[in-house]
Amino acid sequence: MVSALLYLQYLTFRNRLVSRFKRLKQPKYLIGAIVGGLYFYWYFFRYLFQGYANGRQPGANVTFFSEHLLLFELFGALVLFVIVVLAWIIPHERAALTFSEAEVAFLFPAPVTRRTLIHFKLLRSQLRILFSVLLLTLFSSRFGGNAWIHALGWWLILSTLNLHFLGSSFARTLLLDHGISNRLRRLLVLGLAVAMVAGVWIWAKRTMPGLNSASITNPGSALDYLQRVLTAGPALYLLFPFRLVVRPFLAPDAMAFLGALIPALLLFLLHYLWVIYSDVAFEETSVEASQKLAARIAAVRAGNWQGAKKNQKAKRPWFKLAASGPPATAFLWKNLIGVGQIFSPRLWVALIAIAVVVCVSLGHGGLNQNLSMVVGIVMAIALSYSLLLGPQILRLDFRHDLPLADVLKTFPLRGWQIALGEILAPVAVLAVCQWLLLAIEAGLLLCLPGLQKTLLLAIAFGSVLMLPVLDVLLLLIPNAAVLLFPSWIQTGKDSPRGVEATGQRLIFVSGQLLVLVLALLPAAGVFAVIFFLLNFTVGPAAAIMPASLAGAVVLAVEAGFGVMLLGKLFERFNVSEEPGG
Amino acid sequence: MVQVEDLTKLYGEFTAVSELTFSLQPGEVLGLVGPNGAGKTTTLRCLAGIIPPTRGTVQVGGHDVVRNAIAAKKQLAFFTDEPRLFDYLTVWQHLNFIARIYQVTDYERIGRELLTELEIADKRDALPGELSRGMKQKLAIACGLLHSPRVIYFDEPLTGLDPLGIRRMKDSILKRARDGAAIIISSHLLHLVEEICSRILILKNGRKIADGTLDEITRKFSEQPGDASLEEIFFRATSETGAGASPPPSPH
Repeated sequence: MVSALLYLQYLTFRNRLVSRFKRLKQPKYLIGAIVGGLYFYWYFFRYLFQGYANGRQPGANVTFFSEHLLLFELFGALVLFVIVVLAWIIPHERAALTFSEAEVAFLFPAPVTRRTLIHFKLLRSQLRILFSVLLLTLFSSRFGGNAWIHALGWWLILSTLNLHFLGSSFARTLLLDHGISNRLRRLLVLGLAVAMVAGVWIWAKRTMPGLNSASITNPGSALDYLQRVLTAGPALYLLFPFRLVVRPFLAPDAMAFLGALIPALLLFLLHYLWVIYSDVAFEETSVEASQKLAARIAAVRAGNWQGAKKNQKAKRPWFKLAASGPPATAFLWKNLIGVGQIFSPRLWVALIAIAVVVCVSLGHGGLNQNLSMVVGIVMAIALSYSLLLGPQILRLDFRHDLPLADVLKTFPLRGWQIALGEILAPVAVLAVCQWLLLAIEAGLLLCLPGLQKTLLLAIAFGSVLMLPVLDVLLLLIPNAAVLLFPSWIQTGKDSPRGVEATGQRLIFVSGQLLVLVLALLPAAGVFAVIFFLLNFTVGPAAAIMPASLAGAVVLAVEAGFGVMLLGKLFERFNVSEEPGG
Repeated sequence: MVQVEDLTKLYGEFTAVSELTFSLQPGEVLGLVGPNGAGKTTTLRCLAGIIPPTRGTVQVGGHDVVRNAIAAKKQLAFFTDEPRLFDYLTVWQHLNFIARIYQVTDYERIGRELLTELEIADKRDALPGELSRGMKQKLAIACGLLHSPRVIYFDEPLTGLDPLGIRRMKDSILKRARDGAAIIISSHLLHLVEEICSRILILKNGRKIADGTLDEITRKFSEQPGDASLEEIFFRATSETGAGASPPPSPH
């Protein structure tokens, strides 16, 4: 029976691979594959090849690793400890092996034992694990060490964790069957974890000299103290199994690896036996999970990340929508409800409160000026990233609604009305976020001595004007792209994945940046001319405001044309991918 | 109410709909039938202004769906076989949104009546994800009927409905027709078409091969009047050899 399941897995993998190769006949996939391949080579593989080409083994940092081996081992064990504790605290569902709907339909009614299904699930998870091992090995090999040791080490860590997650889900179900609720289990596990940590802390406090303020600021002393605490007393026993799992990965040579491998394999075997001999009914929950998984996959592939969330809740609208008025407002209203799944009013209140507290405490509390400067720089970086990443993250526009394009097309609206409506919500959210960041930034900088306050205010004023219009432009580009090249963007059910999809995204992002630069040139030119003309007469602070206003007007005109163009693109957008009725 | 002249839709070399001409009066219910790939959905999409025809014209209430799309679309509603809803809007929020799009000022009263009529009034605050397939269909219908359309297109309207839902849907369609709406129903359920359609249009390979009342079509494809059901007529009309071909063997 297992051989039949293996055959199914093999065919699934082979056919998927073949279909991916076949679609390389289409230029969009071929170009994407080339660009994606170059990216992966550049980011991962060249480190392997370059190391050998230069006549040295990859990994010049071997010495560094061997010196700090114990520390790395302890750190890895700590991370595993936290992951395992969380695996016992966070999940609340009964045990469910996630099968696809087709697997549920064919395998569950078939004469297949529960144990065989578990084996099938374990074997199938190996595909995912092996792919992760490949990526992680390519990544970790950049920092030195033997690639094959890293690969086997990663495999042991991930496979043991995989078995532990499965075993803990079975144990969770057994506890539920015996009347131990999720809440009680969480309390018990959390209590146990806290007791363990407290035990280590108390032991360290009693038996070892404490850290003084000077040694805390010295990373070397702090790490040395941590190492001593974790390698003696209760922490030694507490982290021991986790260290066994991490040790093969960190082995500096083959002999050390073989020595570390046996205990790690024993632990792996214990986990395997635990999973295989757990007699827990998972079928019912698996059926439900497979349906949910299918729905989530469909939602994600349709570009609907909100719909992919496990527990979507009805959200109240941000404002009352009257039955009459500009139709574009209806789209703003609708999409803001969608955005509300993340950006709830409660979150906004919290963000504003944090902004006020940060400004007041840093600005007027007499705290370190350097800290104010650091926070200011962080805010400036966040502001820049909001321009770059914001339009990619906030996708409640055509990118989200394209699967419903046929519905939108039945509306008695002009294309530009729909286009304007679609981009209003992400623009509004982005603009408010940016204004908030700007307010914090300005608040902090205004409190610092030595800076021209009027100039700062003028820059802030200019930014307030220009940012929303810039957001419109930034959002127009991906929205136009999705209408021009719908198969390149992740909206359809058959959205591409793999190396070629990565390449496609890279090409797309580069194109976006190019278009943005071209769109910014006229506004930048107008801004520069007005600023330099006025700078000589009224000074820089007074010159920035009219120059920003003029720049914003130019951007607004461009945005207006952009919206009209986007509307035309939508009107011409062909919703019929498949001919025939 | 609906005037279709020489409607042709090409996808590259492929002809999805070819030179289709017909008209529909208020109160008429037209059944659009044909085998898979006959061009029914493409026809309905062209009639609704979702896709532009390659050639020919479609007028709804005297307005061309391409040149005067806004005026034409204000008068029509199109129900797809799969209900298409916004997953983060509740039932009532859907109605509110549609009301603004179509500027239905009295939407609260109409919406309440529609939800009651369609028996989903208790689901007012539910998201589509919390509704059954049939309830989603009902919500899509409520949205489509909110602006009291004069022309209604249904693409497989009974998919996913339970027996009671099917009966209510049939009653609802006939009620709208009695109120003066022109209705086109595309369906493979020939008994539905036979039961509620006043006219039938049979498509095959994008071409109209029959158009008329059930009696007229029966006369055209039967040796003797009244000797065949719509199912038998359909098989005769759409078989490769034309009239006289045998339908598939009956299970009875």
